[in-house]
Amino acid sequence: MTTSPNVPAGPYEDGAHELSSHVTDSAEEVHVGLTLDAVRPPSSEEILKVEDLTVEFPTEDGVVRAVRGVSYSLREREVLGIVGESGSGKSVSSLAVMGLLPKSARIRGRILFRGDDMLKMSPRKQRSLRGRKIAMVFQDPMTALNPVYTIGDQLAEAVLAHELMPRKTALARAKEMLDLVGIPQAEARLRSYPHEFSGGMRQRAMIAMAVINNPDIIIADEPTTALDVTVQAQILEKLLEVKDAVNAAIVLITHDLGVIAGMAHRVLVMYAGRPVELGETDPVFEEPRMPYTAGLLGSIPSLEGGGASRLRPIKGTPPSLINLPSGCPFSPRCPLATEVCRTEEPPLAETDSGAHYAACHHWDRLAAAEDPTEFFRTESETVA
Amino acid sequence: MTINTQATEPGTPSDAQQGLAVVARTQGQMVRRRFFRHRAALAGMVTFGLVIILAFSSIGFAGIPGWWDKSYLDTGSLVNQGRPTLSVVPEFLGGDGVRLGEHPFGQDDIGIDYFALTMRGAQQSLIIAFLVAIVGTVVGTLVGSAAGYFRGKVEAVLMRFTDVMITIPVLIIAAVVGRMMGDSGAAALGVFIGLVIWPTLGRLVRGEFLSLREKEFVEAARAIGTPAKRIIFRHILPNTIGVIIVAATLSVANAVLLESALSFLGLGVQPPDTSLGQLISEYRSAMVTRPWLFWWPGLFIILIALSINFIGDGLRDAFDPRQTRVRA
Amino acid sequence: MIVFIARRLVISFFVLLAATFIIFVLTALSGDPLEDLRQDASPNKAQKIADRVERMQLDDPIPVRYLSWLGDIVRGDLGVNRDGHSVAIMLGEALSATLQLVIAATVMAIIIGVIIGIVSALRQYSGFDYTVTFAAFICFSLPIFWVAVMLKQYMAIEFNNWLKDPVIPAPVIGALALLSGLVFGALTVGDRRRRLVSFAVGLAVGGGLFTLLSVTRWFADPGFGLPLVLAVSLTAAVGFTVLAAGLRQRGPLYAALAAAVLGAAASEVFGPLLADPTWLEIAGLALLTVAVCAGLGYALGGLQRRQAITAAVLTGLFTGGVIFVDRMLQAFNSYSAAVRGRPISTIGARTPNFQGDFWQMNLDSAGHLLLPTMALILVSLATYTRYSRASMLEVMNQDYVRTARAKGLPERTVVVKHAFRNGLIPITTLMAVDFAGVIGGAVVTENVFGWQGMGNLFIDGLNTVDPMPVMAFFIVTGTAIVVFNMIADILYAYLDPRIRLS
Repeated sequence: MTTSPNVPAGPYEDGAHELSSHVTDSAEEVHVGLTLDAVRPPSSEEILKVEDLTVEFPTEDGVVRAVRGVSYSLREREVLGIVGESGSGKSVSSLAVMGLLPKSARIRGRILFRGDDMLKMSPRKQRSLRGRKIAMVFQDPMTALNPVYTIGDQLAEAVLAHELMPRKTALARAKEMLDLVGIPQAEARLRSYPHEFSGGMRQRAMIAMAVINNPDIIIADEPTTALDVTVQAQILEKLLEVKDAVNAAIVLITHDLGVIAGMAHRVLVMYAGRPVELGETDPVFEEPRMPYTAGLLGSIPSLEGGGASRLRPIKGTPPSLINLPSGCPFSPRCPLATEVCRTEEPPLAETDSGAHYAACHHWDRLAAAEDPTEFFRTESETVA
Repeated sequence: MTINTQATEPGTPSDAQQGLAVVARTQGQMVRRRFFRHRAALAGMVTFGLVIILAFSSIGFAGIPGWWDKSYLDTGSLVNQGRPTLSVVPEFLGGDGVRLGEHPFGQDDIGIDYFALTMRGAQQSLIIAFLVAIVGTVVGTLVGSAAGYFRGKVEAVLMRFTDVMITIPVLIIAAVVGRMMGDSGAAALGVFIGLVIWPTLGRLVRGEFLSLREKEFVEAARAIGTPAKRIIFRHILPNTIGVIIVAATLSVANAVLLESALSFLGLGVQPPDTSLGQLISEYRSAMVTRPWLFWWPGLFIILIALSINFIGDGLRDAFDPRQTRVRA
Repeated sequence: MIVFIARRLVISFFVLLAATFIIFVLTALSGDPLEDLRQDASPNKAQKIADRVERMQLDDPIPVRYLSWLGDIVRGDLGVNRDGHSVAIMLGEALSATLQLVIAATVMAIIIGVIIGIVSALRQYSGFDYTVTFAAFICFSLPIFWVAVMLKQYMAIEFNNWLKDPVIPAPVIGALALLSGLVFGALTVGDRRRRLVSFAVGLAVGGGLFTLLSVTRWFADPGFGLPLVLAVSLTAAVGFTVLAAGLRQRGPLYAALAAAVLGAAASEVFGPLLADPTWLEIAGLALLTVAVCAGLGYALGGLQRRQAITAAVLTGLFTGGVIFVDRMLQAFNSYSAAVRGRPISTIGARTPNFQGDFWQMNLDSAGHLLLPTMALILVSLATYTRYSRASMLEVMNQDYVRTARAKGLPERTVVVKHAFRNGLIPITTLMAVDFAGVIGGAVVTENVFGWQGMGNLFIDGLNTVDPMPVMAFFIVTGTAIVVFNMIADILYAYLDPRIRLS
């Protein structure tokens, strides 16, 4: 998103920042017309279960350990947020679910779709799920659509890949979908090429493409990162609306905590290929039990506090995935780190509240703190 | 609102102490590292080096005598119909043993030592090729960067001129120039061919400039009033250097082939002087009776062109980090 | 779009005009046009010199000479060379020979190069990929003239000798079988066992095929015959169907198979016509084939009508091509006898005074074109291979290819529909550049093979410091380059809607 911590915090009158200003208190929902409370609640049935997923890429410089032991589950109609910096493995783990990783990737673990392990399926079976049962919305709508075919053609193709029908029928279905995602003059727009669409329109078309086969799961990989702030809210709203229309669950991958806060039932925080915190969105953001999550929350500029509130950034950079530090991967940057953190990698374990898991040796210290971000106070702040 | 975990001052000493410091490599180090990992390029470089050393040390150059005792000018009596005496099959494998012999590459029809002649040809071809590449690269870079940076009329004029030159096939314009300069020796021939082959590179450099001049760092330099000359030479050119070096390297290989083709057509180096192409042209009818007169210069052309092409490929990989290879 | 092309044409015209000036001036300056006469010992030396000075306007400054040449050109007069021969007549003979050579080489290079490049990209880091890459580097580094001389020696002279008794020696069969095994093995991806199996299959197929060809002395009287034509066409039908539609639905497959069968049957029906046709009749048959096959696709395609039409038309044209080749091969024996058993020619563009039927004349052309095209094609082939490989690799990494996969499209559709078309776009730009190179190469190739072509016109003109033939050469080749650029532009616009619609 465009707001960066370097921008001095202050009251914005500009409507364009409405979205931003409303998520300063990160537990609050995003200000979109449709909120999570309004959509149908998730059922208790698990449709996707990822167990101990590990992904490695051999390169000339060594083995890149992109994902190391990720487990999560997704219930019907649920929105699961996955947060993390670039390189945290959030995108790679979802591409693994889609079966879209390059051939060189080494994948271990289990990905169960309604109980069937997708990693053990025949390629043909895998393909029949892809786009039909599990669909994906990509980050950059500018490059995700093929520039040489019309929107209608690319939408119809998604239907025809799984169902035999006359082209006309598929195109009619494509038009319906364009209507659903709010593209005006859908009939005429079917014959347009992607370059004739704006960024927001293209992302709408991508969403239309994702839901055209009534999927059970939509994986949205940073669906709004490449868009203008004003458009972001519209797209997210549309995503929720469409999800409800087709009764799908969403895996929402983002590095934007505000989006997660407003849209996700549960959240999974990832760092250096590891899941480090998992739980219901509100508890995780209000009472983080992993210093990294706390650090993320401290990195968000607050608009409500005016000039008084300060950024508390996490120092340093994420570790190299080829040469991971021993122990907890966050320990070199962690203000709470002790000797045990540098030698022993903590597992994702239950914390004080029931369904709230964190991978930290010292989660109890965070629990005891009044403000979880206080550990990230900068030196200047201390002086002042 | 975006998560920005980059510390405000990355790389401070405290970071280093915490074991966070990333091992920094300069651009040059990365390029070198990638280049030396490219095995074909390395082999090409060694081969090319050996060919240069062999060509210039064997028969000497510019008055300095070499270690080979025969001259490319002296005729002599034909030994064994001028067959090559070079033997590489060791005796225990049933061959004649590894030895050079009197005339390792044989003799031509008037008894001139063909090794000396081939070395002379290689010298001339290499000199021409290097001059062509250097002149072509310098002119192409200057024109391309001027056109790419200044835009407007300068660009229009330069690019229309480049269009004109590109319409004429390289071999055709080089042949005309070769006809003109062939008698004036290898150096003049090289320089003048260089003066007509630059447009391809000029276009390439212009394209790079056009995309780079819109980049933020150039905008920033302009915004603080950096003079155009400084922006061109200190900000943009260093960023195009990879493209230029690769193109320049490959143009050496093309120039070797171009020169030999011209000389083959009789429009390059003129007798009594010689070049690799000229040798092939002169002895093309000997293909059936004395094939070695045809094989040796051809072998050297291929050796030179192939090794340079591999070096160029290695450089391209080294300068273009997008192509990081993933081992399957 | 039309405005875009028209503007390009106008610009190209002026660019070409400027280029003629440069060539004219440089040629005129390149030496002394009277050199040979100055050493002339005949009594009328002064008269000869005066004649030539008069004819070449040597007393006028060069720009004046250029303008007068330009004036003549506008009136359609190419002038005379320094000995007074009409350049137009010289050009007429040279033109068709050279254009045939250049176009044959370019078309072959594009088709073969793009196919190899794409396969190489799809099999990145396989044995095939490495071999192709290495071979491309070799091709970049080969001097055309050297290759041409080699081809003349080994492909023509020795091959013709061998044709007298076309028995393939056992070691050669072994080598060819090994080669085919290696190709099969290198193209297979997967573990060692799968590759070994492929290698064995390739070895057996290659060995069996060449043994059969040798034992039956096929090369002495080649030809396919109806059963083989049918077999090849049916195989192609399956192949095209797999490419265009996949085998999930039967419609397209039936359409393509019907096209193959119908094509083979038509070769018998049209037997009398095919005995000695004209090019016009061949073109008519090709059009008929397209129409019939499109109809087949439409009728049998079912829900995959579009793909069925594509598969059927491709199959039909391919079958036609096979029949064409078969007819030419059948004429081989009589042709070979007519040229005293030396069908692969090393000199000229056609056998002087040779007259035969349509197939024999074509065979004559082909025999003469074969080696020069092979020599000429090397560099372009390598360029197209490398370029399309790189382009394809880049495209395969694009987001929209990932999107296509995410839709659940089969890999075939992802490659053939989404990647291929985008991968072709940068190749159109290459076409324009490469064509100029081919013309340069043609000059050298013609020289080696003794063609009385355009290259010859150019070299002779240049050696005698005579601008008229050189300019005639340049006007033709320059125009050809401009036209080729235009084709490339149109193709570009056709492939890329962003250009077409702006």
